[in-house]
Amino acid sequence: MSKPTDLVQGTLDLLILKILALEPLNGFAVSQRLKQVSGDILQVSDGSLYPALHKLEQEGWISAEWKTTENNRRAKFYSLTRLGRRHLDKEAENWGRLSTAISRVVKLKEA
Amino acid sequence: MRPEHWIYTIPLRLRSLFRRREADGDLEEELRYHVERKTEENMAKGMTPEEARRAALVEMGGIEKRKEECRETRRVTWIQDLVQDVRYGLRMLRKNPGFTVVAVLTLALGIGATTAIFSVVYGVLLRPLPYHDANRIMAVFEVTSKGRPSRLADPNFDDFRDQSHSFRAIAKYSDYVVSVSGASQPTRTRVAYVSSDFLKVFGVQPILGRDFGASDDKKGAGPTALVSYGYWKQALGSPQDLSQPHLKIDGAAFSVIGVLPPGLHFPADVELWLPADLSGENASRTSHNFKAVGRLRDGVTAAQANQDISTIARRIHDTSSEQGDYLLKDAMVIPLQDSITGKARPALLVLLGAVGFLLLVACANVANLLLAEASARERELAVRSALGAARGRLIRQFLTEAFLLSLAGGGLGVLGAYWGVAGLVAMAPENLPRLDSVSISIPVLAFAFLLATAVAAGLGAFTAERATSGDLRKGLLEGGRGQAGSQGSQRVGRAIVAAQIAITLVLVVGAGLLGRSLMKVLEVNPGFRVDKIVTMDVSLPWVEDPKAKAGQAIFFSNLIDRLKQIPGVRKVGAASTLPMAEGGLPDGMFLLTTQNEIPKSMDGFGALLQQKERIGIADFCVATDGYFQALGIPLIRGRIFDERDGPDSPHVAVISESLARDRWPNQDPIGHTIEFGNMDGDLRLLTIVGIVGDTHEYGLDAPPRPTVYVDLFQRPRPVMTLTMLSDADTRSVTSAARGILHDLDPETPAKFQTFAQVYSASLGLRRFNVILIGFFGIAALLLATAGVFGVMAYSVSRRTREIGVRVALGAGSGDVLRMVLGQGLRTVIIGVAIGIAGSLALTRTVESLLFGVTATDPVTFGGVTLLLVGAALLACYIPARRATKVDPMVALRYE
Repeated sequence: MSKPTDLVQGTLDLLILKILALEPLNGFAVSQRLKQVSGDILQVSDGSLYPALHKLEQEGWISAEWKTTENNRRAKFYSLTRLGRRHLDKEAENWGRLSTAISRVVKLKEA
Repeated sequence: MRPEHWIYTIPLRLRSLFRRREADGDLEEELRYHVERKTEENMAKGMTPEEARRAALVEMGGIEKRKEECRETRRVTWIQDLVQDVRYGLRMLRKNPGFTVVAVLTLALGIGATTAIFSVVYGVLLRPLPYHDANRIMAVFEVTSKGRPSRLADPNFDDFRDQSHSFRAIAKYSDYVVSVSGASQPTRTRVAYVSSDFLKVFGVQPILGRDFGASDDKKGAGPTALVSYGYWKQALGSPQDLSQPHLKIDGAAFSVIGVLPPGLHFPADVELWLPADLSGENASRTSHNFKAVGRLRDGVTAAQANQDISTIARRIHDTSSEQGDYLLKDAMVIPLQDSITGKARPALLVLLGAVGFLLLVACANVANLLLAEASARERELAVRSALGAARGRLIRQFLTEAFLLSLAGGGLGVLGAYWGVAGLVAMAPENLPRLDSVSISIPVLAFAFLLATAVAAGLGAFTAERATSGDLRKGLLEGGRGQAGSQGSQRVGRAIVAAQIAITLVLVVGAGLLGRSLMKVLEVNPGFRVDKIVTMDVSLPWVEDPKAKAGQAIFFSNLIDRLKQIPGVRKVGAASTLPMAEGGLPDGMFLLTTQNEIPKSMDGFGALLQQKERIGIADFCVATDGYFQALGIPLIRGRIFDERDGPDSPHVAVISESLARDRWPNQDPIGHTIEFGNMDGDLRLLTIVGIVGDTHEYGLDAPPRPTVYVDLFQRPRPVMTLTMLSDADTRSVTSAARGILHDLDPETPAKFQTFAQVYSASLGLRRFNVILIGFFGIAALLLATAGVFGVMAYSVSRRTREIGVRVALGAGSGDVLRMVLGQGLRTVIIGVAIGIAGSLALTRTVESLLFGVTATDPVTFGGVTLLLVGAALLACYIPARRATKVDPMVALRYE
């Protein structure tokens, strides 16, 4: 199981963007959802999650809004912007091509 | 696609810059929320609350550290982007050195010239006077029956001072140049006679000694003086003990009681301040001898002060016994700064407008250059866009390049402006007020920076808009030096050039009108000779005693005799004030009366003054016969003063031609007698013995004034200007004259000039304007011509293939020429038409500066139009010729 901090930064961005594409969430929920959806394989450490979120906000790919949760607490909810959607599509495409290429090399028959 | 990217992120970035604490609080709250949720999760897994919390905190790894990391990402991203933009921009500019150099130089010219002119405008018009709360200081004027502002009479000033509630302090003042001795050497110094509250108006305290007290201001008080800091340092040698220096001013001994701080420069060039009423007040309400300033009381507005003063003035007007045209009708106050700078304002604003036009033309050129460069990069832009660059990012790129160019051009321009301002100050007319406060100061630098930023924003936005509009993918098409896309940008380029031509036309028309005005002014016959005349200003003390006065007349007589003997000097004369010199002649009302009609009492005079046919108005000049001969003022009829006229013979006068014509229309004034005693106190009648030609005393653009000349030896006067007509060179005459004066009176210094200097100084402001606006006009013309050339050449290069096809299909070179020129001409004509329309509208604003030409002078308009069309045609011709040389084969093969 590769630790999420070993992933290339861009890949982490991709994951976060995709999660937020599904629905707006706060930081904690994002890491939970990621764990859940990937079957506990992809776990983002708290330490790299928030800097990543802030950077994505800085780039304008996600936007943030302070909302009250069901438990009446204030939390910062992130959602995908239109720009973020475009970036996500592009990155997903890139990732697809990259992983296909890697698989092809790895699947090569050894002599 | 809206450029939402970078615009959206600005509030975020500003937030992290400026609202750190709020952003910090949010950050803290966000991370804590996470820790809380984690803690709950841990507790759900079975840990105790303390363990759960600790585990959560450990996993977060230190809240402060995370906060710092988040902050870092913001900062790093922002700076990274900026650095990347700047590096890319620099690389692009380096790749096109020609473009970069031309653009930077053009911007430097525009921004530098504008900064230089603005520094003059700021120093003269905008910079507040260097006194505490200077906008509360007002200048007080009487208003004459004709509605014009005038100086104040003593009793009127006293009434204003005693009856008005609007002023915390009000003071009167007048200034003259007098001879001062008792310091290191005798000098001609400007002194001001001021009332006791003068320093209070300016909020200034002496740094040594004391201010005037109430006792100093009365008749018979021991004369006291305040000196300026500069005078104290240089002429007196900075003595700490003020009881030592004793100055002799105008023959009277003064003791120095105080030294003023370096900041007080009012009235301009004054070094000594003396009490105003040492010789008593003048009781007449019609002798306007003083100007006045006042500091508004706290809470009082200028409008209220105006009301106040006006009421008092009108009360005087209604109740005074001295009725007539010379009694004030009203009074007013205006801010002191306005009264000092008001006359220069129209000319300076016109200058600022003109240089603004030049800046526009320069920016238009750079805009066209940027457009051309951008369309050469169409492919690069298309590729970047395909690779995912947001449109906003591309726009930011253009803005960055525009900023780099503008900052470079602006920096270069400001450096040039330092040099330019020094030149402007040297070239400026001496009577331009507040010239000493013109410099490249902080506000001027701030203005230059803002200007460069505005130029950058305008150019960058414009270029970015043009370059990234439309579908960028077209640039990727084969043969993608897109013909189609360039149609639009060609049209824009031509529109810009048309605008340039219009603006240049307005500017050059303005320059032409002002230039023709100057020429017309120079054509006016001044009425006197200007060259080969050396002038010598001599100020003897004012005396009351008739014996002393006679002695002064003899002094001048001796002086003139000895000056006549200087080798090379042909004629020597003297007059109280020369034409075109500063100040001008005093004017007043004279009475036409005969010997037996002279009234015995003041009331009798009053009655006579009421009869309109008995009075006349003229300037009063004390002169010698040599004066007319030296200056070449012709004698029309009768005679000028000669040996017959002495102190004991009947007093005579000579009048100017226009006065004779206007006041004695059907008679010969020679032989008539007039009484002009209110000018020098001498009530003896003057017999008119001669008529001389008119002189333009107040400048060539003002009509000649009616003048009465009296003989110096009959009406002695201590302050005179001698004129020497000589063939010898100025320096030898001057030193000889200085020596003679020193022999006769070592305590009295003289000021020497050539009359030509005085004369040309009077044209100073006009010439200043013409030179500067002419320079701007020429610069704009060159820039516009270059702009036309550039756009035409570019257009031809873009249409090479089209031209090749046409030629291949049988078009002759004449057809090609006509096609290209035709398009160029169309642009030029449009520009000229707009320019003419604009000029007709705008030249009205400079009407006050014109002389002898109307604001719609057809000669100027026609000439400038021809000039501009000619230049533009020339600029079009070369690319057009190149178009005809296009080899169709090459063009068709051209990729």
